[in-house]
Amino acid sequence: MVTWLSARGLAHTYRDGPRALDGVDFSLSQGELVVVIGPNGSGKSTLMKLVAGLIPIQSGSVQLLDRPLAQWSDRERARRMAVVPQFLPALPDLRVSDFVLGGRYAHLSGWRQATHQDHRVVSQSLERCDALDIAARSMNEISGGQRQRVLFARALAEEADLLLVDEPTNSLDPEHQVRVFALIAELVRAGRAAMVITHDLNLASQFATRICLLSKGRVAADGPVGHVLRRELLEPVYGEHLYYGSFDDGRGGGAPFVLPWLDPKRPTSR
Amino acid sequence: MSSRRGDRALWPWFIGLSIALFAIVLGSICLGSTGTIAPAEVLRSFAHALGWAGAAEDPRLDLIVELRTWRALTAAGVGAALALSGGLIQGLFRNGLASPSLLGVSGGAALGAALAIAVLGGYGILDREFAPSALFVPLCSFVGALATVSLVAFLATRGGRTSVPTLLLVGIAVNMCVAGAFAAIQSLTLKDFEVSRAILAWTFGTLEDRSSHHAAIVWSAVVMGAAVIPFIATELDLFRGGEADAAALGVGTSRVKIVTLVTAALTASAAVAVAGQIAFVGLAVPHIVRLIAGSSHRRMLPLCVLGGAIFLLGADYAQRALFGAMLQPGVLMSLFGGPLFVALLVRHRREVSAW
Repeated sequence: MVTWLSARGLAHTYRDGPRALDGVDFSLSQGELVVVIGPNGSGKSTLMKLVAGLIPIQSGSVQLLDRPLAQWSDRERARRMAVVPQFLPALPDLRVSDFVLGGRYAHLSGWRQATHQDHRVVSQSLERCDALDIAARSMNEISGGQRQRVLFARALAEEADLLLVDEPTNSLDPEHQVRVFALIAELVRAGRAAMVITHDLNLASQFATRICLLSKGRVAADGPVGHVLRRELLEPVYGEHLYYGSFDDGRGGGAPFVLPWLDPKRPTSR
Repeated sequence: MSSRRGDRALWPWFIGLSIALFAIVLGSICLGSTGTIAPAEVLRSFAHALGWAGAAEDPRLDLIVELRTWRALTAAGVGAALALSGGLIQGLFRNGLASPSLLGVSGGAALGAALAIAVLGGYGILDREFAPSALFVPLCSFVGALATVSLVAFLATRGGRTSVPTLLLVGIAVNMCVAGAFAAIQSLTLKDFEVSRAILAWTFGTLEDRSSHHAAIVWSAVVMGAAVIPFIATELDLFRGGEADAAALGVGTSRVKIVTLVTAALTASAAVAVAGQIAFVGLAVPHIVRLIAGSSHRRMLPLCVLGGAIFLLGADYAQRALFGAMLQPGVLMSLFGGPLFVALLVRHRREVSAW
C-alpha cells in the first residue's frame, strides 16, 4: 500500500485562540477511505486545512507523495489533491457546468483558456456523479443533494487522486447521506483515496476503511471500524449519551452502530 | 435567463460599441463652446494631421479640432479606466456595492495629486512639454491611491478573511481621514490662487484644457490594466466561492489579490490624476455590463473598458448637446451616482441585511 499523504507531529494554535491541534500524526494511502471523527472543536477541520495546504504549517510536517507539501506549487498540489468544501456562498448567475469547470483551473494553460479536453472531463465528471442532467441549471436553483453531487463532480474534474471531504452529509436527508458516502466509496475503489470529516458515526461504520478519532487536538484512536467504535474509546471522548449496538449478520460479526441517546440504559421511546 | 446571458457571443457587442464610441468621439469634437464644426471638416482635419490633406482655410480650425480631440480621448480614457477599476474591485471583494471611490482609491489619488500640486505649484504643470513634472502628479496620485486602498484592505482583513461590512466601514473611515488631509492642503494653499484653483478642479473632476499628455497617461494605464485581465479574470471567477475554495483549486490567492489591487489602483489613479475625482462610473458601468455579458470576468472586464469610455464621454456629450456645458463631468456623475447607490442598496437589501 503506497502512502500518498502523511503528517507528523502537527500542532496548530490560532491567533488569540486555544491550541487546535497538539501533535497529530495522520496518513492516507491509495484505496483508503479514512473517516475523521471527533467532537466539535477537536481539531478535525484544522487537520484537514493543514494537510490541504490551506493554512501554513506552524509545527510538524506534511509529506505529499514524494516531497514536503510546502514544496508543491498551488496548481501542482490541486492536480493531486481536491478539497470538497462543506460550505459555499450563494452563486447566482453561475451554471453548474461552469462551476465544475472551475475544477479544471490547475490544468489550464497560461492563457487560462479551457480546451475541448477540459469540457470533456467536466461532462465525464458530471456523469460520474449522476449530475449531467442539471449541467445547464444555475447553481442557486439546485437542491442540497444535487449541490453535493456537483461539488464532487468539480473535485473529480481536478483529476486528483486524493479527495479531502469536509462534512459532506450536513443538511442532507438519510437517503442522500447514504448516496454521498456510496459515491465516495466507489471513487476510492476506483483507485483514489479519501479523507472524510463527519459527525455521523454510523456512516463511518458502514463506509470507512479506517477511522481516526480526534479529541482535544490529539489522536485518541486510529484503526479499523470495529476497533474504534467501542464504548471504551468513545465514551471518554463523547460522553455517556451514546447507545452501542451491532447488526446481526448471523455470525456475530455485524457492523457496529452508535446512537445518540439520553439514557442508553433504557433504550425506549417516551 | 442567467445561462443565456453567459453564453451569448460578445463580438457583436464589441463591434457595435466600438462604432458607437467612434461616433461619440466624433460628435464630441464637433460640439464645443467655440462653435460647432461639421463632421466632414473634423475628418478632413484628422487627415491633415496625418499629412493626407491640406490645412483648413481657417487655420484656427485645425487647432480647435486638435484640442477637442485630446479632450474627448481623455474623457473616454478616464471612463474606461474607472469602469475597469470598478469591475476589478467588485470582483475582488465579491461585492457589487464596492467601487474605487468607496475603498478610498479615488480619495487617495486626489490627495496624492493635491500634495503634488501644492509642492509643484501652478495649474499648468501638466501642460509643459516633456517636463518631468508632467509625470509627477500622476505618480503621486498612484502612490496615494495604492496606499489608501492597501490601508483599507489591511484594516478590514482579519485572519485572511475580509469582511464586507468592515471593509465598507473602514472605507468610510479612511475616506474621512483622506478628506481631512485634503481639506487641510486646500486650506493651507488658499492664498495661492493658481494652486487652489488646480486643487479645486480635482475635487470637481474636470475635462477642460486636456492635452495629449493627459490622454497618453490615462490610456497607458488602461492598456496596462487591460493587459492584466487574462491573468486574473478566471481567478476572480473562482474567488466567488470564497478565498479558501479558490486556493484549494490551485489559485495563488495572494498573487491575484495584489495584482488586482495594484491594477485597480493604477487605472483609477491615472483617471483621477488627469481628470480629478469622477464618481459613479466605476460603480455603475460594471453593473450595466453584467446585464449584457453575465458575471464571468473574462467576458465582463474587457467590455467594462469599452462601456466606461462610452458612458463618461456619452454622458458628457449628451449634457453639452442638450443643455450646453452646465456642469463639470465629475459633478454630473455625482448627481447620478448618489441615487444609483441608494437604488442598488434597496435592490440588494435582503442580502445586505444578512451581513
